[in-house]
Amino acid sequence: MIKDFIKGLWRENPILVQVLGMCPTLAVSTKAVFGFSMGLATTFVLISSSVTVALIKKLVPHEVRIATFTVIIATFVTCADYFLKANFYSISKALGPYVPLIVVNCIILGRAEVFASKQNVARSFLDALGMGCGFTLVLIVLGSIRELLGSGTIFNYAILGKGFEHWVVMALPAGAFITLGFLVGLFNWINQKWQR
Amino acid sequence: MATLIIIFISAAITHNFVLTYFLGICPFIGVSKRLEQALGMGLATTFVMTLAACTTWVVYHFVLLKFGLPFLQYVAFILIIASLVQIVEMFIRKTSPVLYRALGIYLPLITTNCAILGLALFMVMREYTFLEAFIFGLGAGCGFTLALLIMAGIREQLEYSNIPKALQGAGMTLIIAGLLALAFMGFGGIVSD
Amino acid sequence: MKNTIKMIIVLTVLGLLSGAALVFIYRYASPLIAQNQKDETEKAIYKIFPEGKNYDTRIIGEDSVYKVKDKNGKLLGYAFPASGNGYQGQIDMLVGIQPDLATLAGIEVLDSQETPGLGQEITTEKFENQFKGLKVSPSISYVKNQKPQNPNEIEAITGATVSSKAVVTILNERIAKIKKDLNK
Repeated sequence: MIKDFIKGLWRENPILVQVLGMCPTLAVSTKAVFGFSMGLATTFVLISSSVTVALIKKLVPHEVRIATFTVIIATFVTCADYFLKANFYSISKALGPYVPLIVVNCIILGRAEVFASKQNVARSFLDALGMGCGFTLVLIVLGSIRELLGSGTIFNYAILGKGFEHWVVMALPAGAFITLGFLVGLFNWINQKWQR
Repeated sequence: MATLIIIFISAAITHNFVLTYFLGICPFIGVSKRLEQALGMGLATTFVMTLAACTTWVVYHFVLLKFGLPFLQYVAFILIIASLVQIVEMFIRKTSPVLYRALGIYLPLITTNCAILGLALFMVMREYTFLEAFIFGLGAGCGFTLALLIMAGIREQLEYSNIPKALQGAGMTLIIAGLLALAFMGFGGIVSD
Repeated sequence: MKNTIKMIIVLTVLGLLSGAALVFIYRYASPLIAQNQKDETEKAIYKIFPEGKNYDTRIIGEDSVYKVKDKNGKLLGYAFPASGNGYQGQIDMLVGIQPDLATLAGIEVLDSQETPGLGQEITTEKFENQFKGLKVSPSISYVKNQKPQNPNEIEAITGATVSSKAVVTILNERIAKIKKDLNK
């Protein structure tokens, strides 16, 4: 059971290993706090839809399962979007169109199809929680690196002094691609060291 | 007319969906190993994008806004895109087996391409007219094809180079994408004046 | 046949449930969202007019104009929303102008999707403060890489001329219209 949770954090990490859900990962990681909120929103949708799919999997005919999953996911995403707009207005504005884009985050549909539609509720829940945490962790790490080098802060706390010249490129799309590229490389390197 | 040209260039080059909005990264990394594949995927996506821009525009303005159902926006959009992809697939299979063989395998992948939903959302946010939405879809599709082709061209060459083992695959692709994004930033000025 | 019926039933029930859930969340969220927007506008008004104590809303056509007064009821100026296209998407601002309709009291960028690190600098105090006391006639203009010489000029952000220019254009258009509206 516990393995279902752990695997999402490292061995089957959705971003670093499966290379899924890249679009929100790259887009909202300009600041650590945005990455964190995006991670939480995605985790919420992931857990809710995985549990729902696991609950109703016997009722859904095989031919329309993808359509069913998509509607379920889109419903939860709309809920998350309105909730953020109602209670965390400024964060919701910063994330912009990337909250509705959770609908097409392949991680969620992928987990529904590969895991939740075949397993029981408890295991699906743990699996979704693990994947969500793994996703959030990478977003926070990526967001922190980009925020630190791009504006000298982490979670809006000043880390590097005033003399630090901001690397504007880190806040730009190019910085996102390159940082994540090296992060994936670092991850593979650590894994290779371990295996030896 | 000038607005339309600006929308097209901006969607295709200066605000390339892949390199500035990170939309459609999954196929960008997944289907960019061969030039031929990349072209097929690019064309199929451009076709669906243009169609999706028009359809979602009509549905948004004549159904969702008219009946006051903005909260159904995401559900409606994703269903439109999914069914559109299905219809296009069936239509091509019936009418042109040659085209189907070329594009067929890429079509199902397009449903989960976030570029298409992103396109629909941007279109609504920017309050485009129907014609503008059409051009926007076409431009975004061309931009996607362009980025995919460049990437595939580079990756074909990359097979002969000696890349550190840890960076092989996704890592290197992302770093190249970063350099491409920097290069595309250079086009930034062409729309300004 | 049996399977087709099952498919239709499942999809219909799912559609109904999803619709119902969304109506519910929409009912819950929309007053809160409206309140958030109102709070945001109010905060921006009092930031531009720090001595403001209350304001009246006047609707002209489709636009709202806020008449801001201090604690003695003296008119401090007018505030109004202004929006238009920037480099990457829409820029939404709240603009404050003094009662003479010739001098800006300040601007506050509420929403923008400009490039982080470059165009997004229009949301910083440093850029916004340039508009305090700026003359709006004949029109606002911008200079690049040098200090402004005239009372109607601001300095564009380095590397983000397009965004700076967009702000200036939006302001000029909106101010011209508001002058007409208020003099009616």
